[in-house]
Amino acid sequence: MALLLLLAAAAGAAVVLTRSPPRQVFAMAANGLILAVLFEILQAPDVALAEIVIGAVALPLMFLVILASSRMDRAPRRPDTER
Amino acid sequence: MNALPWAVSAWLLAIGLYGMVTSRHFIHLIGCLSVVQAATYVLLLAAGFKWDAIAPIFYSFAPGTPAVDPVVQALVLTDIVVGATVTALLLALALELHKRRGTLDADDLRPLTRERKG
Amino acid sequence: MNAEARSLIFLLACAGLVPAVVVLILHLPKFGAHALPYGDLINNSAPRERHVANAVSAVNFDYRAIDTLGEEFLLLGAVTGTVVLLRSKRGERADAPAGQVEGRPLRPRSDAVSGVTRLLAPVTALFGVNVALHGMTTPGGGFQGGVIIASAMVMVFLGEGYRSWRKSAPSVAFDATEGAGAALYALCGCASLLVGLPFLTNLLPLGTLRDVFSGGLMLIENAGVTLAVAGGFTVLFGEFLEETRVDCRSDDS
Repeated sequence: MALLLLLAAAAGAAVVLTRSPPRQVFAMAANGLILAVLFEILQAPDVALAEIVIGAVALPLMFLVILASSRMDRAPRRPDTER
Repeated sequence: MNALPWAVSAWLLAIGLYGMVTSRHFIHLIGCLSVVQAATYVLLLAAGFKWDAIAPIFYSFAPGTPAVDPVVQALVLTDIVVGATVTALLLALALELHKRRGTLDADDLRPLTRERKG
Repeated sequence: MNAEARSLIFLLACAGLVPAVVVLILHLPKFGAHALPYGDLINNSAPRERHVANAVSAVNFDYRAIDTLGEEFLLLGAVTGTVVLLRSKRGERADAPAGQVEGRPLRPRSDAVSGVTRLLAPVTALFGVNVALHGMTTPGGGFQGGVIIASAMVMVFLGEGYRSWRKSAPSVAFDATEGAGAALYALCGCASLLVGLPFLTNLLPLGTLRDVFSGGLMLIENAGVTLAVAGGFTVLFGEFLEETRVDCRSDDS
């Protein structure tokens, strides 16, 4: 239990200290899995199920798709200041 | 061990806020927001915990066995799902910002009025 | 203000707050060793009064059902906001070609991915329905089941490609599913009002403990939550994936 709590603290720190967004997505998925195990040890299986599904599937997917969208070639737009 | 969950929750809040304050990329900032949310989940679930108690599901155990608090678990459950949806809204806002201004760096995005003066 | 000023103010605030937080942590009750009166009350009365084995579901759908109603509409509002934000700039077409990131080739989908997702996506969707249906007896319920069903939809996208996915899972259907789920939950409450009882009172027969169909009105509320969450997350994924397509409208329109 104490080990898992410290691991959760380390995983949270890893998410923050990973500055590059594509790598941060993997840190977030790992954070979600560690938190899910912690919630299971804290006798909360409902919450652990929800955290696995959302923290390891839904959120990383959304982040990856938005990162891909922001890197695509789009028609060049003039910034508002040059009008 | 008696105060470790409270300390871990405070640590996660502090490091998440530090990440949000010093972030250079809006997507990174939204990831740090998820760390702050995790701090609240750990705090709530640890507040409802009891040693040598079962989960509040009485399928294999007789009703009346000592179990942990189900109210905080219900709170955290709805919190996780709603947090994911609000994160989606924030990501959509960040994408629209990128489409308009071409950058997601917080320091490069000054208010328009300041640029029009110069 | 620039980044250095922000960091400085944050560190000053931390330096001021850390002693207070340390004193607070030392004075909080011991972890796992303090009384939980409300929790014990619900654990002792939920199986007896509501005939439901999962006390968390009993809290979500019966004792604090009105909070779940608020959460449903929060979900609806956030998804509506995202959809309005993204569709107002882009329109509602779903057949644009794929966008490309500079320097990365567009690889065709491999047969292994198609085969595995064709096997796994129906199984995942069925598992999601199973988790949602058994919400009253085992860990699970509407929220978890709904998100699992939405992730099965994403697997279909991975295996079949974007255009076939949009044709087979039209966005209108999932918009309607989400709205229907939230409306079903609200109508459950109104059904109690029609009979003269307070809003969201459990008025259906409660069934037997440890049976799948126990809990009365909670089952219908559970179904409403499953529909709303599954529909909401699928709409969100669809909107985000549509953003990766090339914008074919010119700047003049």
